[in-house]
Amino acid sequence: MNHWMFNCKEVTYLVSESLDRRLPFFKRIGIRMHLLMCKFCSRFRRQLLLLAKVSQFHDTHLAQFEPSFKLSPEARSRIKQALRQQ
Amino acid sequence: MTENRISDPETWVDQFGDYLYNYALSRIQNPSTAEDMVQETFLAALRDRGNFKGLSTERTWLTSILKHKIIDHFRKMSREHPVDDLDSATDFSEDLFDKKGSWNLKPSNWNVNPEKLVDRKEFWEILNHCLSDLSKRLALAFRLREIDGMNCDEICNVLKITPSNCWVMLYRARMSIRRCLEIKWFDGKAGEGS
Repeated sequence: MNHWMFNCKEVTYLVSESLDRRLPFFKRIGIRMHLLMCKFCSRFRRQLLLLAKVSQFHDTHLAQFEPSFKLSPEARSRIKQALRQQ
Repeated sequence: MTENRISDPETWVDQFGDYLYNYALSRIQNPSTAEDMVQETFLAALRDRGNFKGLSTERTWLTSILKHKIIDHFRKMSREHPVDDLDSATDFSEDLFDKKGSWNLKPSNWNVNPEKLVDRKEFWEILNHCLSDLSKRLALAFRLREIDGMNCDEICNVLKITPSNCWVMLYRARMSIRRCLEIKWFDGKAGEGS
């Protein structure tokens, strides 16, 4: 294996890291070379981007739907009580 | 609506209690801690309601108070509990890669429309399930990064970890969630919508 080429496992790490910081130039080139040739790592990269994109909608979704969990009646009255005492 | 557009604090609990509780639970899995967070949020809001300008909705205002309380809670937890070294390992329990580092379990074709995906209640249930399979710290790092949109500097500050620790934790979390979603959501639905 060429020493300047990354394998798939290394590329998955670098793709993930590239979402969190700007990688050094040679790593960016290395990833790009690998992705040109590797369908599965390209897929992997699109999947991580999708995961990041949809996760941003987590709270929107929370607001849209009927809450899955309810405050118990005890908690509800305890909180109201605490508010009254302020 | 009163003049300063704020409703009677006594009605907050019925209006926003469940939403805030679910918001807290999606970050903190302990129900009684989540309840406490909601209560503290309302009390802080009551003390601070003179500052509510009506520029956002009351719910948005209350949520931002809660969000800060939750982050303070994690900050405190991280001070009290030292970093788990296991979080720094990049080995996987299953054989995702072969010895040469090539794919063993190749990523499948997800073939999905993200706009439709986020409207599916079942998808969020599966995502939460996948998050619950992670260690608490990995799940937390993922939530702070991808759901709360914090960057690694901010996460390092809250969790008291180094940047490289942050990158590795996020890598492990993403790898695990990606694989989990593939198995539990996408593979059963291959070709749907195509």
